[in-house]
Amino acid sequence: MMQPKEIAAMGLQIAQKKGAQSAAVSYNRSRNVSIDWRDGALEKVEDGTTQSLSFELYVDGRYSVVSTSDLRKESLATFVESAVATTRVLAEDKDRALPDPKYYQGLIEKDLHLMDPQQASISPQLKRDLARETEAAARSVKDNQHILSVSSQFSDSLDETFRLHSNGFEGYQAGTTFFLSASVSVHDKDGKPEEFAYAGGRYFKTLPNPKTIGIEAAERTLARRGSSKGASGKYTMIVEPRVAGRLLAMMRGPLSGRSLQQKQSYLEGKMGQSIASSLLTITDNPHRPSGFGSRLFDNEGMTAKALPIIEKGVLRNYYLDTYYARKMELQPTTGSTSNVELALGDKDKNQWINTVKDGILVTSFLGGNSNGLTGDFSLGIQGYMIRNGQIAEPIGEMNLSGNLLPFFQNLIGVGNDPFLYSSLLAPTLVFDQVEIAGT
Amino acid sequence: MNWSRRSFIKASAAGIAATGLSSPLWAKPTAPGGTDASVGYFERFGVNKDIIRKVMATALETGGDFADLYFQHKVTNYFILRDGAVNQAYGQVGLGVGIRVVKGDQVGFGFSEDLSLSAMQQTARTASVIASGAAGKVPDTFQFSKNLPSRYQTQIPWDQVRAEEKLPLLNGINEKTFKMDKRVVKANITFMDESEAILVATSDGKLLEDIRPMTLLYLTCVAEQDGKRESNTYGVAGREDRSFYSSDRIERIVKSAVDRTTILFDAVPAPAGEMPIVMAAGASGILLHEAIGHGMEADFNRKGVSIYSDKLNKSIAQPFVNIVDEATQNGARGAINFDDEGNPADKTMLVENGILTTYLHDQISAKHYKLKPTGNGRRESYKYAPMPRMRSTYMLPGPHKEAEIVQSVKKGIYCENFTNGQVNIGAGDFTFYVKNGYLIEDGKLTKPIKDINIIGNGPKVLEKIDMVADNLVVDEGGWTCGKNGQSVPVSQGIPTVRVSSITVGGRNA
Repeated sequence: MMQPKEIAAMGLQIAQKKGAQSAAVSYNRSRNVSIDWRDGALEKVEDGTTQSLSFELYVDGRYSVVSTSDLRKESLATFVESAVATTRVLAEDKDRALPDPKYYQGLIEKDLHLMDPQQASISPQLKRDLARETEAAARSVKDNQHILSVSSQFSDSLDETFRLHSNGFEGYQAGTTFFLSASVSVHDKDGKPEEFAYAGGRYFKTLPNPKTIGIEAAERTLARRGSSKGASGKYTMIVEPRVAGRLLAMMRGPLSGRSLQQKQSYLEGKMGQSIASSLLTITDNPHRPSGFGSRLFDNEGMTAKALPIIEKGVLRNYYLDTYYARKMELQPTTGSTSNVELALGDKDKNQWINTVKDGILVTSFLGGNSNGLTGDFSLGIQGYMIRNGQIAEPIGEMNLSGNLLPFFQNLIGVGNDPFLYSSLLAPTLVFDQVEIAGT
Repeated sequence: MNWSRRSFIKASAAGIAATGLSSPLWAKPTAPGGTDASVGYFERFGVNKDIIRKVMATALETGGDFADLYFQHKVTNYFILRDGAVNQAYGQVGLGVGIRVVKGDQVGFGFSEDLSLSAMQQTARTASVIASGAAGKVPDTFQFSKNLPSRYQTQIPWDQVRAEEKLPLLNGINEKTFKMDKRVVKANITFMDESEAILVATSDGKLLEDIRPMTLLYLTCVAEQDGKRESNTYGVAGREDRSFYSSDRIERIVKSAVDRTTILFDAVPAPAGEMPIVMAAGASGILLHEAIGHGMEADFNRKGVSIYSDKLNKSIAQPFVNIVDEATQNGARGAINFDDEGNPADKTMLVENGILTTYLHDQISAKHYKLKPTGNGRRESYKYAPMPRMRSTYMLPGPHKEAEIVQSVKKGIYCENFTNGQVNIGAGDFTFYVKNGYLIEDGKLTKPIKDINIIGNGPKVLEKIDMVADNLVVDEGGWTCGKNGQSVPVSQGIPTVRVSSITVGGRNA
């Protein structure tokens, strides 16, 4: 079998031979295995390896991107030839170019600990056992007579990428992931509430005990029984780490070069200004050891660097790729996120709950959307009422609405408990005076 | 990761992950059917009946009850107009085979992008780990299914249309958009065309081929007025060829996108809390998709985890409520000639005269319930195993008139245009996001509203649909349904209906 580097080199050679004056070629290969267990029996086993070769083609000042999973050499030649011909009929675009090679400089030789060398030695039987034990643990809890169904899953992946640019960049990245999850359905008077728990890591040995995940999933679900709709009003809202990233993610589109250049961002012209409470500091950190978003170079080959996005509420950087940076006559930063980290506070979720007399704890969002141009947003929520600093009855079928600018100015607390199983490492977030619709 | 939630995302320029260019390599797709010895389209990749039989034998050698092979070749092209020029194109070619082995309710699945016999046999072995026992029986021959329906009557396949023939469509729409309203400052157009061939072979001897076209086009505009900006999108999609883009349709795309954007300058915040709502005919079918469609997918019911699991044959709505899921509308985005398991796909009544009549089945759930499959076994691609999915879901016309429905509401909102929705299958809670609508005050549409989420509970909301108009519209938009990480194209529709009470996620609670 050809090595990733050889495949990418073959691709670049074909692109240049077929008429691309410059090109970036990237070869991706990924294997994903998953084992599903349900109600005491094996449910599904999936195992597949996918590969693709993608080409960013620069032909006579014109630009296109194509990819294919058909890597037979004769197909590739015809495929690229056709793509080059199509590129030639597009409009010229003087802002399209590979990154300036100065952005390839300074690549550090550092092990980010993304690859578990033990992966190949984990037996299919062990994977099945983990899924089975997770499912059994969920059923072992008190009040398990209410449980209707439990599903669990073990999954792991191996991803490899090799990038090669005609103006001198080459880079290889590989990583493994391991996830274990359980989801539980229970019955109550009105329906069949469901909830789940999961954990993941870059190394197999960092996965928590399956019992922890199974029990957490069952307890989370049983706590949802008898949920009702609360009253409409203005609340203090605590959002738990697992879902707090949903709120931060609404800023991601408006921070992008494309939204800004296309006049579709509420953050246009806000550089250096306060866009959130001074408690909010966000950094894009590509070098986090074993992070899900860690990388040495970004998806344009530019050397990855820590990027302050918001410092004490003040907007410091946009996500700018080469193209939109050129269009806006700015320096590129990066067009994609790596690990999004927040400056942490000194209390965890439970300590924050104890500080709130009356409020709402949000444990999941349902649907909703945001308007990146105006900052208006509206999201379904479920969670719990907080009364006298304690978690009270479960609530659901309610909705949070607001505008991102005033909403993030009303951030009054940041937890010390970031959610570790994602590249968006949100801690508990506490907001004052949020508008929630219910009865 | 997609857990117990089913999300529903409208395709838009912002949602494009990867994309492609037309490839003349596959210039002449064979007509579906092929000759008796042939496997039609996939012969060009070296696939024949003997190879299929050998791979099937490997898949069944550990004792699986059933196995199927799903070959797919898909060429997708996107052209994007931004800042007045079509200056970016994206293309993607996917080629592979998914191999599934079923033992009871259990599934083993693998896929290969290499269609050589040895690579496919290795994948078949991976899928066969689900079973352990004596080898299952392989059919002696595969019978090509003939006389299949033909629901996408495209004259010229997309892979025979050159890029330069597609560009004038985008440039023309751009020009019309700026001409229509001086307040327009940006126009973004995304055009997609797709040529897809599939071949399904099953261990009960079926062999079916289909050539599925698809196209979609989205126009997003940004307008400015008195230092304020607003933006909105209108899109169309179907299993159609170039003739889909008639001058009428182009006019509608431009006018709808511009009108939906500029009306937002006058929008006021929507109220918050429980109130009656009126859902306009067409895209409001999103209500059905979330409130009942997903909950009726038989995999959830087989596992007993859907809120509808114990409601079959019970009255769940007013007697004038009839809801269907079907695959037969010519050229619809949700149309298919047969499903991805090779089963006939026709019309399924979900609710008839207010009574819940049947779930949406794939092969596994149909066997579990001892029923015929309903043709809802669908999959995103060869990389995924099929599961029960919707196709085109809508409500049939009812006894009321739109005017009387609006007049009946003293204080509420009218919902017209949507971006996305989501549902919790078990609890039944669902949402949809309203991009455009109006306040209803004393039976009249008054001020426009925008950007609010509406949240309700499926069975409770169905009971509260108390008026249904006679004006059914199946929406022409490019709806895409997501479930367990797989996306499939769907259609949706509804006549104008009233929901007597639901929670509106507005402001100033």
